[in-house]
Amino acid sequence: MTPLKTVGHGTHRIDALQRVTGAAKYTSDVHLPGMLYARVLRSPHPHARIRKIDFSKAMALPGVKAILTHENCDITWSSGDQLGQRRLFNNPVRFAGDPVAAIAAVDRHVAEDATRLIEVDYEVLPFLTDVEEAVKPGAVAIHEGGNLSLNNQRQPAPQTYKRGNVADGLKAADRVFEASFTSAHHNNAQLEMRVSIAEWSGDRLTVHAATQGIANCRTDIAKDLKMSADNVRVISEYMGGGFGNKNQCQDSDLMAALLAKQAGVPVKLEFTRKEDFVAVHGRWSSRQSYKVGVKNDGTLTAIEFTALTGAGAYRKGSCDLSGTEIYQVAHLETSVSPVYTNTAVAANYRAPAYPQGVFGIESLMDDVAYAVKMDPMEFRLKNMTRKFRDQTPYTSIGLEDCIRKGAEKFEWTKRWNPVPGSGAGPVKRGAGMAMGMFGSGLGRSSAVVRLDGQGQYHLHVGVTDIGTAAKTTMGLIAAEELGVPLEKVNVVWGDTDTCPYSVGESGSRTTVQTGMAVIEAVRDLKKQIAAKGAPKGTEVLTAMATTNPPPLQGQSRNSFAAHFAEVEVNVETGRAIVTRFVSAHDSGRIVNPLTAQSQVQGGAIQGIGMALHEELLYDKRSGLPLNAGYYGARIMTHLDAPMVDVVWIETDEPYGPFGAKTLGEPTIIPAVAAVANAIYNAIGRRVKSLPITRDKILGVLA
Amino acid sequence: MKKISRRRFVEGTSAGIVAVAAIPEIKAQDKPIPTQAGVPRTPIKITINGVDRRVEVEDRWTLVELLRDHLDLTGTKIGCDRGECGACTVLVDGTPLYSCSQLAVWMNGRSIQTVEGLAKNGKLDPLQEAFIEHDAPQCGYCTSGQLMIAKALLMKNARPTRDEVRTAMTGNLCRCSNYNHYVEAVMAAVKA
Repeated sequence: MTPLKTVGHGTHRIDALQRVTGAAKYTSDVHLPGMLYARVLRSPHPHARIRKIDFSKAMALPGVKAILTHENCDITWSSGDQLGQRRLFNNPVRFAGDPVAAIAAVDRHVAEDATRLIEVDYEVLPFLTDVEEAVKPGAVAIHEGGNLSLNNQRQPAPQTYKRGNVADGLKAADRVFEASFTSAHHNNAQLEMRVSIAEWSGDRLTVHAATQGIANCRTDIAKDLKMSADNVRVISEYMGGGFGNKNQCQDSDLMAALLAKQAGVPVKLEFTRKEDFVAVHGRWSSRQSYKVGVKNDGTLTAIEFTALTGAGAYRKGSCDLSGTEIYQVAHLETSVSPVYTNTAVAANYRAPAYPQGVFGIESLMDDVAYAVKMDPMEFRLKNMTRKFRDQTPYTSIGLEDCIRKGAEKFEWTKRWNPVPGSGAGPVKRGAGMAMGMFGSGLGRSSAVVRLDGQGQYHLHVGVTDIGTAAKTTMGLIAAEELGVPLEKVNVVWGDTDTCPYSVGESGSRTTVQTGMAVIEAVRDLKKQIAAKGAPKGTEVLTAMATTNPPPLQGQSRNSFAAHFAEVEVNVETGRAIVTRFVSAHDSGRIVNPLTAQSQVQGGAIQGIGMALHEELLYDKRSGLPLNAGYYGARIMTHLDAPMVDVVWIETDEPYGPFGAKTLGEPTIIPAVAAVANAIYNAIGRRVKSLPITRDKILGVLA
Repeated sequence: MKKISRRRFVEGTSAGIVAVAAIPEIKAQDKPIPTQAGVPRTPIKITINGVDRRVEVEDRWTLVELLRDHLDLTGTKIGCDRGECGACTVLVDGTPLYSCSQLAVWMNGRSIQTVEGLAKNGKLDPLQEAFIEHDAPQCGYCTSGQLMIAKALLMKNARPTRDEVRTAMTGNLCRCSNYNHYVEAVMAAVKA
């Protein structure tokens, strides 16, 4: 790979100064003159029909200006449910936290007081919190058509994939292994809570939104409010994290817009931290079952995989599971069924379908490796994917190097116990590894680049930069292609009035998709400069590009990773801590190694939290969440976080901006399974349920 | 470890305030902050980033609410509003406190330092420099709090070990989980 001048060198964020001085304006920092504050009243019941809402006392409170309930607001929140079954305010309410009313008042205290004065008469209905109970015959139906949700083709059937014939594959096996795993609903828990500020000027709506994608947010708001997108402006100058739960438009955007319309003044609606845990969304839980055939020499012959996933009360996400594709196997059948329960809604959280699926398959493959007396690393090198679905060549694949170089950095042969659980104790040490992959497709995005008469370049991109350093990445790509220093490129972002379409920071697509648009816009600008000369005085040259590449013919473009974890488990207390961690990633060329390292370390540490503590618990008898909030859900802290060493495997990738592939989401994918496998290696017993809390460790040791 | 007594520390901060106050002094609020009729209010004297201010606050306001909603000091963030995440950490007479868990009226006569007061005379604090250098903020929403807790630590302990940094900062969550870079940045500021 040829070294480049600007791309590939660790570079500070172009907005780092704003981020360390408090000058960066996040959505909740925006104050508009005359702005009201809004609060939401939510259902205290997991399932209930609203007979009557009396808000006369609330509206009589001085300072209360507007109210929304299902009675005066019949708006469908389309990005809140892929099947279009979710209103802003639903009746019946289907989980504890489903919105019942939103109220706007002169300040936050009056708004809070007013929500307490709303009287709601509920007819309490039977409820379900468990996916297995929800699919039993006779279970109370949460939606018409029952509790099995449709598949992603909107058919009343599971999401399936099949190649070969599992029965043949199992017949060809010397040994067959079966195992089941579960994973919990856990929360994105980004520091910035959901917040929207809406302001009308005639028919034109401006929403300051904490969103991962201003372009999609704008079109979704327009769609749900039945407006022309030309009349909607979305601004997101700085954004305090999302990890998938601020994609598209949020219910708060719509509620703020409708309250502002009713009140005739701007409205700010900010959810509380508790609302963020119970009423936004987290990663879908899963019940996974596998059957695997293997020959005595360790060659896989078949994988059969069935699962139920916990969608919660509405179908906001795909609720699919991934993981089996990292193995080469002739016979594979998978079947995943999303299930409704009266619990918090599940949807995208960093690599939505992956870390829990990889936990299942990689835990089982670890067991298989030990059973056929192979080093788990050698087993993976033997059986890892070589072609996508064993059929389509990858544009580039550095998975083997991720495993080998990651193992070297980790000192795998020194740290891994050939005999699991053989340590003297009470603190036992063990090492585990796992691998992962993630799609890195090309796709549509736009960029505009201008050169002014003073020789300054202005790059307009519709990114919001949710912490990924996307603005800086776009600036680096432009500077590289222009052959100028980064300082010569002024990046303009975060406002649909000044920025063209970008896919938004979801699916880890910004670097690849918007980055390609930046390169093409710059190439056009360079042509114009060559033809017309550089602009002078008040002259400006403008170029724009929208890339809409056709799908790669006969090739698959993916990022790869292998993670290695060392743990210490105290077999008397059940406490597990991660003492060493290595993340090896093939994401093609790394555009900015400094900020990319931040992402890889952060993704791994989130994965460790998912492996060891994080879970939103429900009380089965009341149907209520028990531990909403940072302490209760045991989010990772400074003291929980180990040092994460990063290994880059920069494959020579022919596509994408300077050969860059996807990075943000793969960083969490193998981490969970690596920790789980390290715990097995330490104690010699397998915990098959996430999170692997102390009680479960003590349970398998008992 | 060099220990600074609380008294010496408080005196030190006061000296700093005098120095800052020598530059054009911003007087108390020109315009009173609008408050709700019928809600108990109390006038307080408060020093914020070296500037003395007199404000009338509603008794139910938290310190972070006063700073963000009424004094336009929005560098301090609210991540949970319930004493769990540390995003709202400020220094009150040099002690790091969650400003979401302090009532504004309790601040009468106290001196508050927020992230906006870290840079002095247009020069960034060494911690801010190190945070930029080591890419400590990802989304940046917890960064002000991480800076203030690190500042408080370094004022008490100028040469902390890596583990002392992690322990001191453990009440400040970062969901981007950029903990490695935060600790590296603080250690680099220590060396600087």
